[in-house]
Amino acid sequence: MIAGPNLVAAIRNLRFRNVPPQWLFTLGVSVLLVLLPFAIPLDGRPHADGLQFLGRFHPLLVHLPIGMLVLLPLLELAGTTRLALREAAGFVLLLTLATGAVTFAFGISLAYGSGVMGATVTRHMWGGIALLVELMLCIALRPAWVSGQVHRIYPSLLALTLLTLIWTAHQGGSLTYGSGYLTRYMPGPLKEFFPSASAASDAAYVGSVYARHIHPILDAKCVSCHGASKEQAGLRLDFYDLLMKGGRDGAVVAPRNPDRSLLLQRVTLSPSDRHFMPAEGRTPLTTDEIAALRAWILAGASPTAASIPGISTAQENPDLPLQPVGDYSFLMNEIRQMQGSESAKLDAVSAMPSDGLILRTSDVASKFDDAQLARFQRFAPFIVEAELGRTAVTDACFDTLSKFSNLRALHLEGTAITGRALAKLSPLSQLTYLNLSGTKVTSDALSPLKGMPNLRHIYLFDTPAEPASTATNRGTP
Amino acid sequence: MKQHPLCTDCENPVTPFDLPIPAGLKREWAAVETRRRFLGRSGKVLGWAALAGLFGELGLRSFANGADINSVSADGRNNLGLPHFAPRAKRAIYLFMSGGPPQMDLFDYKPNLASQFNQDMPASVRGNQQLTGMTAGQAHFPVAPSHWPFGQHGETGAWVSSLLPYTARIVDDLTLIKTTNTDAINHEPAIMLMNTGNMNAGKPCLGSWLAYGLGSMNDNLPTFIVLQTKTNPKENNQPVSSRLWSSGFLSSEYAGVGMRSDGDPVLYLADPAGVDRNVRREMLDTVEQINRQALAEVGDPETNARIAQYEMAFRMQSSVPELTDLSKEPQSTWDLYGPEARQPGTFAYNCLLARRMAERGVRFTQIYKRGWDVHGDVVGVLPTLCQETDRGTYALVTDLKRRGLLDDTLVIWAGEFGRTVYSQGGLTQDNYGRDHHPRCFTTWMTGGGVRPGISYGETDEYSYNVVKDPVHVRDFNATILHCLGIDHSKFTYKFQGLDQKLTSPVPAHVVQGLLA
Repeated sequence: MIAGPNLVAAIRNLRFRNVPPQWLFTLGVSVLLVLLPFAIPLDGRPHADGLQFLGRFHPLLVHLPIGMLVLLPLLELAGTTRLALREAAGFVLLLTLATGAVTFAFGISLAYGSGVMGATVTRHMWGGIALLVELMLCIALRPAWVSGQVHRIYPSLLALTLLTLIWTAHQGGSLTYGSGYLTRYMPGPLKEFFPSASAASDAAYVGSVYARHIHPILDAKCVSCHGASKEQAGLRLDFYDLLMKGGRDGAVVAPRNPDRSLLLQRVTLSPSDRHFMPAEGRTPLTTDEIAALRAWILAGASPTAASIPGISTAQENPDLPLQPVGDYSFLMNEIRQMQGSESAKLDAVSAMPSDGLILRTSDVASKFDDAQLARFQRFAPFIVEAELGRTAVTDACFDTLSKFSNLRALHLEGTAITGRALAKLSPLSQLTYLNLSGTKVTSDALSPLKGMPNLRHIYLFDTPAEPASTATNRGTP
Repeated sequence: MKQHPLCTDCENPVTPFDLPIPAGLKREWAAVETRRRFLGRSGKVLGWAALAGLFGELGLRSFANGADINSVSADGRNNLGLPHFAPRAKRAIYLFMSGGPPQMDLFDYKPNLASQFNQDMPASVRGNQQLTGMTAGQAHFPVAPSHWPFGQHGETGAWVSSLLPYTARIVDDLTLIKTTNTDAINHEPAIMLMNTGNMNAGKPCLGSWLAYGLGSMNDNLPTFIVLQTKTNPKENNQPVSSRLWSSGFLSSEYAGVGMRSDGDPVLYLADPAGVDRNVRREMLDTVEQINRQALAEVGDPETNARIAQYEMAFRMQSSVPELTDLSKEPQSTWDLYGPEARQPGTFAYNCLLARRMAERGVRFTQIYKRGWDVHGDVVGVLPTLCQETDRGTYALVTDLKRRGLLDDTLVIWAGEFGRTVYSQGGLTQDNYGRDHHPRCFTTWMTGGGVRPGISYGETDEYSYNVVKDPVHVRDFNATILHCLGIDHSKFTYKFQGLDQKLTSPVPAHVVQGLLA
């Protein structure tokens, strides 16, 4: 925009006359594209509504060039035997560039018009630029490949373009659906390869009302647009400090004054109001969520307060995304045999196998020891709850338990465990409930459990570790 | 042809098709009773008989299982596919306040009534409601405000009567339901409806449905246990009996097992002198053989239940003494439940037993406390009733909570109906009576699956009609089943040609507002 024609002229003057015109065009446009983000920076300020109107067609239009670009290598491959398809490929390539350019223009309008900013948006934009440049290079290189002068460059470039496409499309998908969309329901073993799949939050405030009630609301309803990947209006709500800092319109939370808090104003407007949040038809906040936000702000919007009037603290939803366990039906014969015998039993949590199994020992509690527990190792990944209360297990049981990778609730009340080996529970990322009542566990022995984010219910009644008050839920002292 | 004595016109005999009955019934008759069908069925019966002969005892046993044939596998565990979804509560404890506690004296705070003392309740409030015979003849319906002050408690600031100082301490954990309502206005139908979902006796109660559907968590103890509180002769005790914990048309294995409130909780737990454990075992094995013979010959499913109950009794000989041995309870237990809990048969003692049963995997415990039928002398009797139950209730919930059991135990507190705001009999400055009231009464739940610290529903200023969010008994029961992982509409048992449900026949709904 700044120096486009001049640049082309300059290149011409520099004795590149023997260079074919499409090369000059490609070079010129590429330079322009790379300069574009500097000419119109995404500053988080919304611009003309007309731009936004056009821009919103970007997600709609984008699938057209994607489809054609994916079709292209197939056509080229098939073209080795059927020449007509090879001719078609050339046309499809041109069309891909044309529609891609329009899509890109709409994308820029969307980002610039709505005032979005953030790392993912930026990455998505650079991906789009790279794609256009690569497509133009493809067009320029293809004739030489078709005529057999060059063999490898065009196919490798095409492959590179496809890789770029995948990466860019993923960024775009993250913008629309949130970054955890693909990994959220990923089976356990796969997740280990994607360590970044879990959402970040303020580690310092574990157990507070903010961490348990407020952050999850914001995370579910707001952070997809006001987070690290997208910072609409320069506002981020994914960390406490950023929430309190506010955005371009100033602070959004006025402690002790819910009515003057922009955050609350926006979510309580009429849904038809253009300032209503969450925007763009996303799921609005429920009345309970609004009530919780109001109560929290009214109480001073503290990040550390452990209980606040109006927000129930007695018990919470198990709102962490529970991993479904695998299908245990191939073990069903053994499970049924066990149920008929006089031994510990495995019962299904529900009719859905993905809900897992419960290990029940109450029939044989006094005789159930570490060796018997070890026999259940082969069911380990399917057991979500182990009822070992008043059994004869000892500290050695943790060696077996550490393999119960999907364990959510563990009852060890009234057993002889001392807590020395509690650290072995730390790989159990799904563990939410641990009952140690009536054991000899001391508060020092509990320290390895501090790093387990999901472990929210620890019961220590009648132990040396029991807190002064009888309430034993961590976070509600 | 000899004329039948009842047949007036044998040339043109009357058939069901001539009777003034619905066409649907006629069609059913036609479908069932044709000669062809009769012959066809006879043939099938012969075929089945032959098949049964081929399979011998096995075949007859499966007949003997009757309707359970599809639902109970050889090992005795059922295949109903329950729970339908992952439950929030594994077990439930039901504190049943038989007689109908007066909601406006305990939880449903109506401060404006004080100014209307002895004024007639407006007729519009009552509408065309039919009253009980006890007050229908009254010329006046004078408003009797509660005799006791209310206070706000807990972080939620819920109003609770000063009669319940202990319950007030746990009010943040409770899910108060102000708008429970029932169809019946007298004890018997109302208590049947509350327990079995039907006013007529003969249907299985909630506990039996749960025992049938969810099965046992500890084979050494009954799945469903009933504890009765010793009656206080000063109170107006309405009868409760085993019809309330009956298994109805389900196998009697699923009936509630009552424990005695006086003396030994279960009689004859110890083997008689001279009979050791092995002799007892051999005797039971022989009895089982004889029972199996009877089962093979007669095929009565109740024989199966009998066999199972003998086995349960044998195991209870060792499990019940351990259950009821309170000597190892730490001092903190007695500090919590109070000294009354040391006397068998008191409400506090039963609450303590209920906690011990929850620990040991009893699926459903129901504690009955009678005497809430305060037709007269409310001021004299109600404090006693509250004093008898308040601390035990508080202690049970607190104990479950501190021991980590409240996460997966649902505790329910309810009577069969509420009481009227107007006084039955004379109203004085010092005393009043209250009649039965079905249109609204307060109940509460707490624990696994329900939302703590809320008050659900609103009643009018006389605590007479529901203004907002009614919870019918059927909805109440549907919600309880939901907390235990059961979809009430899918949990059925075919009997008398119907898919019987706890919540049938009028559609019921899980009350979403109560759920956590």
